[in-house]
This record gives sequence, structure tokens and C-alpha cells, in this order.
Amino acid sequence: MTGPWVEALPWVVALPLAGAALTPAVAARRPRLAGVWAWGVLLLATGLAAGLVYELAVRGPFAYDLGGWARPYGIELQFDHFSAWVLPLLALFVVIVPFSWRYLEHAMPRQRWPAFYALLLLNAGGMVGFCVTGDLFNLFVFTEVVSLSSYALVAVSGRGLAAYAALKYLFIGAVSSLLMLFATAQLFVLTGSLNMADVSVRLGELGPGLPVMVAFAALAVSFMVKSALFPVHVWLPDAHAIAPSPVSAVLSGMVVKVGIIGMLRVYQIYYGAGTLDLGPFNQVLVWLGAISIVMGAFFAIFQDDIKLMLAYSTISNIGYIVLGLGLASPYAVIGASVHVFNHALIKATLFLAAGAIIHQTGFRTMTDLRGVARRMPHTAAAMAVGAVSIVGLPPTAGFVCKWFIALGAFEAGQAPFGFALVFGALFIFVYYIRMVNAFYFQQPVHAAVAEAREVPWSMRAPIVLLATLCLLMGILGGIPLSFVEPAVLELLPAWGP
Amino acid sequence: MLLFGLDLDYVAAIVLFCVGLYMLVAKSNLLKKLLGLNVMETAVFAFIVTAGMIEGGDPPIMVQGTSAPFASPIPHAMVLTGIVVAVSVTAVALALIVQIHAHYGTIEVDELKELP
Repeated sequence: MTGPWVEALPWVVALPLAGAALTPAVAARRPRLAGVWAWGVLLLATGLAAGLVYELAVRGPFAYDLGGWARPYGIELQFDHFSAWVLPLLALFVVIVPFSWRYLEHAMPRQRWPAFYALLLLNAGGMVGFCVTGDLFNLFVFTEVVSLSSYALVAVSGRGLAAYAALKYLFIGAVSSLLMLFATAQLFVLTGSLNMADVSVRLGELGPGLPVMVAFAALAVSFMVKSALFPVHVWLPDAHAIAPSPVSAVLSGMVVKVGIIGMLRVYQIYYGAGTLDLGPFNQVLVWLGAISIVMGAFFAIFQDDIKLMLAYSTISNIGYIVLGLGLASPYAVIGASVHVFNHALIKATLFLAAGAIIHQTGFRTMTDLRGVARRMPHTAAAMAVGAVSIVGLPPTAGFVCKWFIALGAFEAGQAPFGFALVFGALFIFVYYIRMVNAFYFQQPVHAAVAEAREVPWSMRAPIVLLATLCLLMGILGGIPLSFVEPAVLELLPAWGP
Repeated sequence: MLLFGLDLDYVAAIVLFCVGLYMLVAKSNLLKKLLGLNVMETAVFAFIVTAGMIEGGDPPIMVQGTSAPFASPIPHAMVLTGIVVAVSVTAVALALIVQIHAHYGTIEVDELKELP
């Protein structure tokens, strides 16, 4: 029944966490070693994750009981189609870390390098744990591992502004984590269990009630904050723009997705229980998603700072994903779950390219960076590919998901939101075309830009690789879509087989 | 003991949570905001601990003379973990506040907002 890869499940979580703990010791004498060490650990973890996904593809979802204690007594790790997100997640880390090697030389003093890589590994380990755990309290602990390392990563470049942005992020993040802990406790009081599958079954036996709804609301709000949905997005732009660029890529591409994966887990519990009518809540999600798309795009138009613009664009894209989840029709949810990955890929491309440009020229606004494409052709081309992808033009990664979400809007009988989505894409097109225009078709105003040199290959290769993947995912976009399909059909009761 | 149809300890936890939230939102001093966060954490922990209590229950430790019903030990394990997390959050927040103070010379939000 179970293949050999099942045994790898606890290790894929433990490996990055143990690697993080060991980083300061490994790199005590030579800070440079920390980067190579982190890369090696992540490469190994990616290998394990690939094995797990293979196992999933061959034999279907599986679980592992930690310490041999079966559920509901022990902590259970589970690997389903949504957990499969850990493979692209770790793979993106593997690409981002080599970029950081040279980037850090200007960004922070050497003594901080081991801490930086240790935090990055902690972040990765926390997210992997979050995706594979089957236990509610464990989910909270991993959320906190991810959140705490994110706060520290925002502040790691060590300037006053970064510390203030990190602290704002911390206050809002800590409140959302507390809401999550409160909801976990509430569910424990109601059902006497912490295992998600078990909680779902027992909630079904319990029937509807106010406490069940309170717990749901607390969880939903908590994950909305984590994913920076519109009314609770205020922490994101500063934190993501001020962090060092590799960190921005991780935060914008992956850490906000913790909220989305969390939402999917909540759906699994409550759709499974079947006692709560989630229709009205889904309608709220649809509206908030649509507002996020438009507001994120609206604010992004007025940004001159390229990293701030990318940060606002993340709010837009989270809007797309949440809109898809809220529509709750198969096409929309499939598109949304795949956009979790595609947006991470595109945002990583854009943030790394932006980081490379800022690293070489020292400027970060579009006005200052006019004409940069002449001197940095590869990086600017990657940036343009990323821009086209995120708008969602046909041959790229962004297109397939947005197409599916729009189809889902029609499928769910909510056609206006399909149009809202297209309208949002036009908005996004406006501000990205502005950037591409400034980079390609305007004269440089600064000598530093006119004489900028292309980044070294250790930074250029990750950017070019990511941009190529953005294009490839447009052509091979059907693979992840058909991969998550069975999980989504199982999730949605009304549309299920 | 009941209040508004709810157990008194739950009501107390929710009131305490709101007091903390008020401190976090309304106070301008970053340290006071952090204290507010700590109050909120305490409220959630109090809620969890009281959830494990059983009227007339014994501590779940097997020694001579103990008998069922037992108080549930899981909430205590949860709260211990929660406290560890809360301490880490507080430590990170304090470190950030120290950095902000070293850089700007103030920890009042309304003064920080006016800085460029």
C-alpha cells in the first residue's frame, strides 16, 4: 500500500529546520559557507519533496503518524494534493538562495550572513511543515515559525525603517496568529480533538451552532490577514518593499500563500463537516477578492518605487486567488490553487530582477531607472517576461490561471466578476507597461544607469531560469491544473463526482 | 458560574482580549502596544487553560489515590507551547523597538509617522 517515500515525510520538514539550527555552527569561521550550506540543505529537501510528490501521483494522498501514535491521539502529517505545493516552494528557494550569495555582499555585513541563511531555512521549514501537518495546533506552531522568521527577515538589513516596517508586520501578524490559536482552542473545546480530519467528522456530528461559526470566523480572518487581503493588507507594502530583494521574493511569492493554504485547510474541515452553509462567506470572499484586485492595481499605478509597485501587485494577485476560492466552482478553485504556484514563480522572477537592477544601479524608482534595459538586457528581458506573465497575456504562466478563474466565474453564474477580473488585468497592464516603457524606451537620466553593468552570472542565471519557467508554464500549464483537479473536486461538495 | 449565558471564565477571557486589542490599536507608544499584545496572549492562554478544567477532576498524574475524572492535560501542553511562541514574539518585538529607538530616538508612533 505505502511506498518507501512515505518515510521521507517527517524528514522534509525536519531537514530545513535542523539545517537552520546548525547554520551558525557550520558558518562560524567562514560566513560565505552559510550560503552554500543552506543551498545544499534545500536541494536535499527538494529531492525528498519530489519523491513525496511522485508517491502522491502514483498512489494518492498518504499520511504519517509521528512517533507511531495513530490519529486522533498523535500528530499526523498528511500529504495531499494541496501539500504538493511544498515541491515548487522548496524548488523556488533553491533558485533564490544562489541569487543571495552575491546580493548579500552589498546588502548586509558579513557577520549577519549566517543569521540570514538560518532564517531563510527556518522560513522554508516552517512553510513545509504548515503544508503537510494534519494537526490544528501544529498548524499554529508552524505559522508562528514562518511568521517569526519573516519578521526577522524584513528587519535583517538592519536599518531603522526596516525595523519599523517589521514591527508593524509583527503586531498585525501576531494578532492574526492569536485569532488562529483562539479558534484552535475553540474547536478543541467543541470537539475534543486537534486532528483536522477528526475535527471535521466531529463537527459534522455536532451540528451547527454559534461557537462553530465563531471559530470559523476567527480562522478565516486570521488567514485573510496572513494573505494580505484588501481591508487587512496594510502591513504588506512596506514590509515587502523594504526587505532585501531575495526576501521580498520569498515573502511576496510564498509567505502570503500560507494564508491561502490555511484557507484551503479550513475549507477541508468545514466543507467536510457540512453543517455550516459557507455560501454567504464565499460571497464575502468574492467581493473582497474583487476589491483587492482593483485596489491593489489602483495603488500600484501611483508607485514610482518598483519594489513598492510589485508589493501592491501582490495584493492584486492574492485578490485573484481569493476570488477564485470564493466562487467555489471547480474551474475557479483549480485556477486559484494553481495560481498559488504560478504567482510565486512570477513574483520571484520580478523581485529578483528588480533586486538585480537596484543592486547594480543603486536606484529604485522608475524615474531614475529609465533606459536601464540597454545596459542590463538579460535582467530587463526577464522583468518584461514577468510583467507580461503577471498581466496574464496568453503564452505565459499567468494566463492559464486567470483564464480558469474567469471561466469559474461564469460557471458559478457570477459573470460580472469574470468581467471584473478582466478589467483588473487591464489595470495591471497599465502599470507594468509603464515600467517596461521606462526601462526600454526612455533615455537614461543618471550616469550610473547609463554605465550600469549586467549582474554576475550567479545572480543572472536564477533570474533567466525563472523567466524561462514563466514562459514554459504557459505552454505546460495544463499539468498542474490536471494535478490538483481530483483534490478540488473532492473539496467542493456541491460539484463533486 | 454563568454570565450572559456563557461561562464566566470565557467572558473574562474575551474581555481581556478586547482590552489588549484596545491597547494595541489606541496607544501610540510602541512598548505599550507590545504590552497590549501580551495581554491578548494571556487572554487566549487563560481561555485554553480553563477549557481543560473539569469540576472535581484530579490532575492527570498516576499516583496512589488518584481517580477519574481527570483534568485534560492537552490544554496545558498547548499553553506551554503557546507561551514559548509568545516569548519569542515578545523578544523579536523588543529587539526591533530597541533598533527603532537607536535609529530615530523615539518610540512614539505619532512622532515616527512625521519622520521622512
